[in-house]
Amino acid sequence: MQIQHDPRRARLKLILTLLSLALSALAIWWANNNLSSYYLRILNLAGINAILAVSMNLIFGFTGLFSLGHAGFMAVGAYTCALLTLPMRSKQTIFLLAPLAWPFNAVTLPPFPAVLLAGLAAAVMAYLIGLPVLRLRGDYLGIATLGFAEIIRVVANNIPTITNGALGLKGIPSFANNLWWTWGWAAATVWVTSRLVNSVYGRSLLAVKEDEVAAEIMGVNLTYHKILSYVIGSAFAGVGGALMGSLVTAINPKTFGFMLTFNILIIVVAGGLGSITGSVITSVIYTVLLEALRPIESGWSIGPLHVPEIPGLRMVVFALVLLVIILFYQRGLFGGREFTWDGVLDWIDRKRNRKQEVAG
Amino acid sequence: MRRISACVALIVVAMLTVLAGGLSAQVEPIRIGVYEPMTGAMAAGGQMTWEGILLAHEMTPEVLGRPIRLFLADNKSDPVESANAVAKLIDQDKVIAIIGSYGSSNSMAGGDVAEKAGIPMITDSATNPLVTEGKDYMFRACFIDPFQGEVMAKYAYGEGIRKVAILIDVAQDYSVGLANYFEATFKQLTGDARSVVAKVAYNTGDQDFSAQLTQVINSGAEALFVPGYFGDMALVAKQLRALGSKILLMGGDAIDAPELVIIGGEAAEGIVFSTFYSAEAPATPEAQKFVDAFKAKYGKTPNANGALGYDTYNILVDAIRRAGSDDPKAIRDALANTVDFPAVTGSTTIDESGNATKDAVLLRVEDGKFRYLTTIKP
Repeated sequence: MQIQHDPRRARLKLILTLLSLALSALAIWWANNNLSSYYLRILNLAGINAILAVSMNLIFGFTGLFSLGHAGFMAVGAYTCALLTLPMRSKQTIFLLAPLAWPFNAVTLPPFPAVLLAGLAAAVMAYLIGLPVLRLRGDYLGIATLGFAEIIRVVANNIPTITNGALGLKGIPSFANNLWWTWGWAAATVWVTSRLVNSVYGRSLLAVKEDEVAAEIMGVNLTYHKILSYVIGSAFAGVGGALMGSLVTAINPKTFGFMLTFNILIIVVAGGLGSITGSVITSVIYTVLLEALRPIESGWSIGPLHVPEIPGLRMVVFALVLLVIILFYQRGLFGGREFTWDGVLDWIDRKRNRKQEVAG
Repeated sequence: MRRISACVALIVVAMLTVLAGGLSAQVEPIRIGVYEPMTGAMAAGGQMTWEGILLAHEMTPEVLGRPIRLFLADNKSDPVESANAVAKLIDQDKVIAIIGSYGSSNSMAGGDVAEKAGIPMITDSATNPLVTEGKDYMFRACFIDPFQGEVMAKYAYGEGIRKVAILIDVAQDYSVGLANYFEATFKQLTGDARSVVAKVAYNTGDQDFSAQLTQVINSGAEALFVPGYFGDMALVAKQLRALGSKILLMGGDAIDAPELVIIGGEAAEGIVFSTFYSAEAPATPEAQKFVDAFKAKYGKTPNANGALGYDTYNILVDAIRRAGSDDPKAIRDALANTVDFPAVTGSTTIDESGNATKDAVLLRVEDGKFRYLTTIKP
């Protein structure tokens, strides 16, 4: 890899970054004030999916840990945040089976610290699970982590004094129905992940992914780096779960089934393993496409041709789209590549050079 | 080339004009949204409900002199999709009231969106007590878990039973709710905190209940209450009889499906359960009319979900008629004042918390058929 030390280009890149950040902020401000609640909801969901996909990409795409425990960490995050932010009145009325246990019955936190604690709780859980389980490789790791996620779900069903059992929690404050929250956290996830991946640690993570034995011979501490990636990825899964709980305002153990993990896995694989850009853009495409396809199943007619109402048709079309992506882009839409200012500037330079050649 | 595109453009414009003319000649329809699990894990219940709603729409296609237009949104049996579906119905389809959804978790997620938008919603079969709790715009046409639990506890007590066991599916809010209220009522009736001699749990999808059933038999229970779904109940019945126990088996409306007898066979004989109505012995003329119409349209006997879908639509249309306008607030107020509506599933009154109070029907499996036993008033 060539590292260019061009002060002019560095300044240009900084300006471009600041400019695009300002533009994004402006776009979010505009969207928050002008879009209908339906569109806002979809965009918020896209932001949450981006958090989840990028965090899973860190674990699976960059470190090569085939973990299927994402739904479990989301559940931990969602329950932690919900229990911390639920208003006192709700805590007294919705726990019909058994009263809520201490300390949750005594505290109500503002959303921000609650989301932070949700991430922390998921991180602690990931550390405890990761220590024994990350010794496994490949499919075995997938099965063990999938089992962990199922355990979380079953435990949630069986501790009514904390989770309200199968009845679930409702009336969670919906602070996450706000683009600043969802896309703010998505930006934080992207920033942390890209800083990590492009650091010395990131190189070690890649080494672990490519060949564990070789990495260990080169002096990479396997356990340390695997746990590092797993804990950080899971912490953001917890944050994503917390925001999803707040967006939907009602959670129950069934919400966090294995299908949730697979949906995120689809985003990660379709976007490209090891591409943060791919995960973010595919999250948006995935979320928007699922909703945009709704009209095709509600029955329509073109002239004499009448298509009746077919519920589930959009999933068929959606599956076809995914098939096409996997057939034509076998390494995902972005195939491990990233969007960088260098890439854009190089591309512009090449264009300009070619034009000059043609002209000259 | 240019001439062809000009021709095409002309035709398109002509078609649009005709279409627009056709539309403007019509009266603006009343828009009602429906969100149900048409796909996913709960699709069976959602589709049956939709059939009931469609039938009701066919029979009452107009209100206030305006046609009713239904907008269906599939929620894939998923709470996140449910919230999206409701937001879509309100923002895109501009509906003024919403029916749905089968599955309490879906209804809780969707209900919050409707509440914030001030659009009345009436759920057909979400029995979890939390669905309407603290919500002004949320109603339901079915009875809630506490009532059914109480009904079965009273029945067992009335049959002279003093020791019961409960087998709970801890992963289903429905099962947990029913079991909880059954237990409380039964203990209160007997005045004995130890009258529930065994409380054992299983998880959705379990196939082998022999360990739990052995525990039930050893506890000396005279009856077993299984508030689970029909598939579970059929397997429990088979395995319980195979273990040689002849104690009374009781269930809730979730076992009201022909599959109970198909899977359970001989073992299902004698099971008693509470439900909304009986296709065998329709309580009201309205019910008889519904059963006949349903059979004629779909060629099968409707179950409780079909009946509830039908009722939910009719309760809502009745509220719109009484409100006299398509204003969501007026419809909400009319819904809240529903009194003794002659529904298929019994005379329905909506109480101050938005829940329907109506009679429960007790049925018993005899010779592979569901026989009417008695009606219990709230």
